Amino acid sequence: MAASGASASASDDVPTYEYIDINTKPFHVGTFEKFWKESLNPKYYSFQDVDQETEDEEFAAEIGILPETVNELKVTCSKDTLRCHPENQPPDTDVVPADPGLITLRMKKRRQDYKETLIRDSTSRQDFYATELEGLGIGKRPADLQDMVPEGEIILNVNVLFPILHERFKYFRARQTLHVLGSHRLTDLRDAICCLSDLQVSGEFSQTPDIAPEFISKDLFKSAFFFLEGIFYNDMRYPECKDLSQTIREWGESHNFPTFQTAKMEDTRFRDLRIKVGYPYLYCHQGDCEHVVIITDIRLAHRDDCLDQKLYPLLTYKHRMVCRKCGVCNLYISRWITTNDSFAPTDPCLFCEICFRMLHYDTKGNKLGQFLAFPYVDAGAFN
Amino acid sequence: MDYFIEPVKSDCEDILSRFQRTESVRYEEFATIWRKMDFPSIFYGKMPANETRAFCRLVLTTAYPFLLPPYNFQIRVGGLYLLYGLYNTQLAVPKEKISIALKDWENIMKFLQDALSSQHYDVCYIFRQLISDKAFYFAAMPKQLIFQVKRKPKRQVVCEEFRDRPARVKELITSDTLEEIMNVQEHYEKLKAAISATPGQPDPAISLINKDLGTSLQNTVTGYQKWLDGMAGKKNESGDAVADPGEGTSQQGESSRRAELLASIKSKSYGQLVEASKSRRHRQVEMDPLASEAERSHEPTRKRMPSLKARTKKNLLSKGNLKQEILEATKQWRLSVTEEDKSERPRQKARFKY
Repeated sequence: MAASGASASASDDVPTYEYIDINTKPFHVGTFEKFWKESLNPKYYSFQDVDQETEDEEFAAEIGILPETVNELKVTCSKDTLRCHPENQPPDTDVVPADPGLITLRMKKRRQDYKETLIRDSTSRQDFYATELEGLGIGKRPADLQDMVPEGEIILNVNVLFPILHERFKYFRARQTLHVLGSHRLTDLRDAICCLSDLQVSGEFSQTPDIAPEFISKDLFKSAFFFLEGIFYNDMRYPECKDLSQTIREWGESHNFPTFQTAKMEDTRFRDLRIKVGYPYLYCHQGDCEHVVIITDIRLAHRDDCLDQKLYPLLTYKHRMVCRKCGVCNLYISRWITTNDSFAPTDPCLFCEICFRMLHYDTKGNKLGQFLAFPYVDAGAFN
Repeated sequence: MDYFIEPVKSDCEDILSRFQRTESVRYEEFATIWRKMDFPSIFYGKMPANETRAFCRLVLTTAYPFLLPPYNFQIRVGGLYLLYGLYNTQLAVPKEKISIALKDWENIMKFLQDALSSQHYDVCYIFRQLISDKAFYFAAMPKQLIFQVKRKPKRQVVCEEFRDRPARVKELITSDTLEEIMNVQEHYEKLKAAISATPGQPDPAISLINKDLGTSLQNTVTGYQKWLDGMAGKKNESGDAVADPGEGTSQQGESSRRAELLASIKSKSYGQLVEASKSRRHRQVEMDPLASEAERSHEPTRKRMPSLKARTKKNLLSKGNLKQEILEATKQWRLSVTEEDKSERPRQKARFKY
């Protein structure tokens, strides 16, 4: 919070490790941003390209050497000196050299040798999609200059982990990575997190399959909270929102925990937060769907970042899950699950929207036969 | 990606130790070594694009600490050149950036100031180039933190040969503190004179302190420093003289104006002993990273119980009272097979592991 940030001494807001390579001590994000801006020349983080000529002149003037010396430096330090091959024969960068001297390359070579023994080798689709998603935001400029991210704005990398739903997540933590700006409110992040439990529909709809979409949990139960550094940030944008953290706070009080503070999610900007980088925090919605939220990195915006403010919070990574297909066509993702179904080969059985309607209802939409139908949200709904 | 950290780090140490042996901070020297080692090839090899990015990021974050203390000036210069090289030769498009932590910025600025005042213009120029290429992220921490708590936390190993020689004595007794001591001494003498029976003369009964404390302290410190230098020189006898490590050949040719004190400190740190790196020199011979890893982990790893199949085989078959036919029978997996097919059964290929 801003108040607690002001009370702490200034040097506390320079992030340092609490545990090395694991997480930092808590610091105030806004002050951290201020420190960077104070210590940097605004040119360093500006989005404009620097003209090499003027840059060299300035460099010469700044440290008081002659332009000839700078020219000499330019020759000795040019990027061509880094090239290890003749100018017109670039090596094949996909192939590890035959007799590598570097240890890293020897490792890569072993992998390459292994790959050559494979009969079939292709890039995994997961990697392909991940690359595509990563590349979406890079270097994007807004059509309207109003939407430009201001220079020196901070970008936070947020990892949102999914709660453990499946056995296989014990070995792999499925997550989403989002970039948010310092000026965003916590509610912006909350709206950008896509979780299956928001889409769940509870109830049996075999009589009236058309009204099922009206009972999506997201619209019914809007409460949620973030728990960051001992403060509960509750979402209170709508009149029907409840303070989900109340039970926890009451329990804490009865067990001699220090009292937790609360604040409103919609009033808090990321800039006002006092947080640890790399420390696991909690996001809880739908009553008990609990996500671990880790802020992995905070930095100033860079020229090559996505600079369209409208595209933030920007999704840069998401885990893709296996979909379950319809039991009839085995083509589309299932939307319905039925039990006690006289038409179905199994019990329970999954159906896509089309097959479900065709099989269970006549042309006028009347129910045929006996069955119970429940809306089904596939794990791969966000793929 | 984590399996690449160790090899990349040792490659970086390799190039930097070669650079250290040149006892120079010139960029040309570094570039020569760079080309000789064919260092950009570190990025070669086919990888999916997102893995390439991750790998480039890993290489940059691994090379970044060499820019910071506790490494000595020459290694830090080498670290800067290394970052420059790696940044410009990486294969990711757009280039991955180098994250600078806020806590390190002041340190880096001081380092540049040092370089500037001893007229290593190439250092300043290259840093300037990186800045104008926008090669840096101004971040909270040098790497992304995802709360990776390890059961056995890895100790951060600082390569001892690269470390700055601690000048604790020098730090403790600077000219300021010496002056302060002199002042106190003077004051003390006056006070003694004031309270003594014979005015103007301090009481001989309380003359417990050496009168020229300040000067003797200074002499001791300089003596110690000389001895240290002598030690370093002795160890360096095998090598060439370390008098002027490359600065004399600096193209700027304005060595007369050089900040003398700083240069002398620097030259001392270049003149650091390198013979400890002999072991490294012959490291070019084949070294299997996995084998070395096994050596590295001295802690006894928990033994896993052999599988049921392995145990059965050991208990029953190794006793020798079973015939070969039975063994073969268990291998058969089709109801009918031709004679020649009998023995071969498609085996699942083991997954590749680094």
